[in-house]
Amino acid sequence: MMKLRVQLQCKNLHEYLRELSPEILDRLYNHPATCLAVYRELPSLAKNYVMRMLFLDQPLPQAAVALWVKKDSQKDHDECVSVLAGLRLWHSQQLQGGLQGYILNPVFKDNLRIALLGGGRAWADEGSSLGPDRHARDIESLDRYAMERWEVILHFMVGSPSAAVSQDLAQLLVQAGLMKSESGEAPYITSAGFQFLLLDTASQLWYFTLQYLKSAQSRGMDLVEILSFLFQLSFSTLGRDYSVEGMSESLLTFLQHLREFGLVFQRKRKSRRYYPTRLAITLAAGVTSSSSSSSSSSSSSTLGSTPGAGDTGFIVVETNYRIYAYTNSELQIALVALFSEMLYRFPNVVVAQVTRESVQQAIANGITAQQIIHFLRTRAHPVMLKQTPVLPPTITDQIRLWELERDRLQFTEGVLYNQFLSQTDFEVLRDRAQGLGCLVWQDVTHRVMVVTPQGHSEVKRFWKRQKSHT
Amino acid sequence: MASDDDTNLLVIVVDVNPIWWGQQAQREPQFTLSKCLDAVMVMGNSHMAMTRTNKLAVIASHCQDSHFLYPSKNWKGGDGSGDDASSSGDGKYELLSVANNLIAEEIREVMSKSKGNSTDTMLAGSLAKALCSADDCALQYMNFMNVIFAAQKQSVLIDACVLDSDSGLLQQACDITGGLYLKIPQKVALAQYLLWVFLPDSEQRSQLVLPPPVHVDYRAACFCHRNLIEIGYVCSVCLSIFCNFSPICTTCETAFKIQLPTMVKAKKKKLKPMS
Repeated sequence: MMKLRVQLQCKNLHEYLRELSPEILDRLYNHPATCLAVYRELPSLAKNYVMRMLFLDQPLPQAAVALWVKKDSQKDHDECVSVLAGLRLWHSQQLQGGLQGYILNPVFKDNLRIALLGGGRAWADEGSSLGPDRHARDIESLDRYAMERWEVILHFMVGSPSAAVSQDLAQLLVQAGLMKSESGEAPYITSAGFQFLLLDTASQLWYFTLQYLKSAQSRGMDLVEILSFLFQLSFSTLGRDYSVEGMSESLLTFLQHLREFGLVFQRKRKSRRYYPTRLAITLAAGVTSSSSSSSSSSSSSTLGSTPGAGDTGFIVVETNYRIYAYTNSELQIALVALFSEMLYRFPNVVVAQVTRESVQQAIANGITAQQIIHFLRTRAHPVMLKQTPVLPPTITDQIRLWELERDRLQFTEGVLYNQFLSQTDFEVLRDRAQGLGCLVWQDVTHRVMVVTPQGHSEVKRFWKRQKSHT
Repeated sequence: MASDDDTNLLVIVVDVNPIWWGQQAQREPQFTLSKCLDAVMVMGNSHMAMTRTNKLAVIASHCQDSHFLYPSKNWKGGDGSGDDASSSGDGKYELLSVANNLIAEEIREVMSKSKGNSTDTMLAGSLAKALCSADDCALQYMNFMNVIFAAQKQSVLIDACVLDSDSGLLQQACDITGGLYLKIPQKVALAQYLLWVFLPDSEQRSQLVLPPPVHVDYRAACFCHRNLIEIGYVCSVCLSIFCNFSPICTTCETAFKIQLPTMVKAKKKKLKPMS
């Protein structure tokens, strides 16, 4: 039986928001950080529209707004209209003269104004009331901490015995479909999990966060509260500490989870201050890039970089199918080993070979050729980045061909009809099946045909009627 | 969005000549220098809010020099460790409140410390600073034109938002570099004009309908009287323009040797004695 390959879908911020109910959206927009985050994801023309209407208190006639663009940019205008309406950032309102107008969502408008100009409540207590931190952490140590924590999660997924995560986190991974757990046994990784591992960090973070948000309500957490807090984090300054003053119980629990994922650093569980790490700040940035898209430009390296593992890539791919990975991180080596055969291991480099067996093994586990190529491209060594295309085309083509080899056979279920006594019998039944549109295959010389399971009952009935007549 | 990776730097040069602003405060008390700076800060904030990679600089152009209001040399920049004074304690995005507080502090310093009574401002100097080269000497016109051509070479757009009287130089600057020139009919609505007309970047400007370019007067000004002339004399060494001929160029002090038509000397005929 063929295993169904589930493609890992990573929605971007707008897609996620569009799925939320209007009430939740309106409550979400009650925080300046959220408004700013949503604003930043808009197409640039839509941003200008919002800016123009931000300081107006009356609706603008729709006809006037349509005149803002030049004639050949009409398509862009329509796209803006639909994006802004879909996110409930503006809506139609009738003007006094009877014309239709646009007006910004008042909650969104007020809060975006606050984000730009001030007023309103502070987003978070800047920690100035606590005085300077005696155990202050610098940015480098924050980066190291974030990377360590995030890698523990990935290690756990790969099955490294040394990695241990909390019950909550293990359960979250199972709920997200990245791991599966039989009763009583330790969870093991699924095909979706494999695909997840090969993503770049920013996409992994965002996917993970989305899964967490989905399960938030079942934990009794307020989705709006934690989402607002996340956006707030993404706008914070790296290296600065913030106070937990005024945070609710559920937010504090959320903070502990973030601590485990490596998004914030807290010296102790009961500390009054926390430091957002680079992972938290890139969280919102990772939102624009969709995971399974084939990013051909190496500019995705800024988003995909893991802090501390070197913002530069470390993999060299040669045209003789050899891979040289300049790393001693167990995790990175385990990831490379997912689709290649390990040959040698040195203190600072690992040599592997991409073979037909290794690639097809990976594909059998649910990884696609595109993901392998994306993985190699996003971790490409700077030396590789100098050449175009970054990866040798022989290698990328061959990986894709090995994937296609598995697709040579296509299975369709059906019912076989054979041993017809005469040619006419066969032809009558065949025509009937064809007329019903359920004929899958036929062989006229051997008088054999295959019909879909759904059509089988109808064809059988027809045949019985035929036989009783003759 | 592919263009997200490019940094978009917006440099706002504000003419803070105290004489003009002092008179303005008496003419129209509802639009003072602080109101103008408020509008500038709104524009700057909006620009920085657009994307993570947008950057801002604000320069104040005064009588004798120009100052960077933001980023300022005293500012440690970046991670703001322990900069308690910079947070506004309200709902403003942190980065913006740091910037706004700095601008406010710096402009206070500039206005209180700078001396100068002229009605001229070092606009060329500010623009040059804006193009990252420090050039404070006199001879505004020449430097101005140099700055404009340098900007054009570097594909930098210069926009001009004029409050009072039209400036031919600024019109030329905008026309040559491809920017927008606008003289605002209502000063109190400065913020709206800034956001509607000047906030979109060059990519978005190609899609939007914006005020049409003004007819630019490209006549040069002569160096001796500052009159606009159409025909004049040009020094072949430094290319400075004069309306009247003078034997020595005042800018580069080259002596001119003009080939005047050869004068025929009256020949005295020696009278031969009649034999």
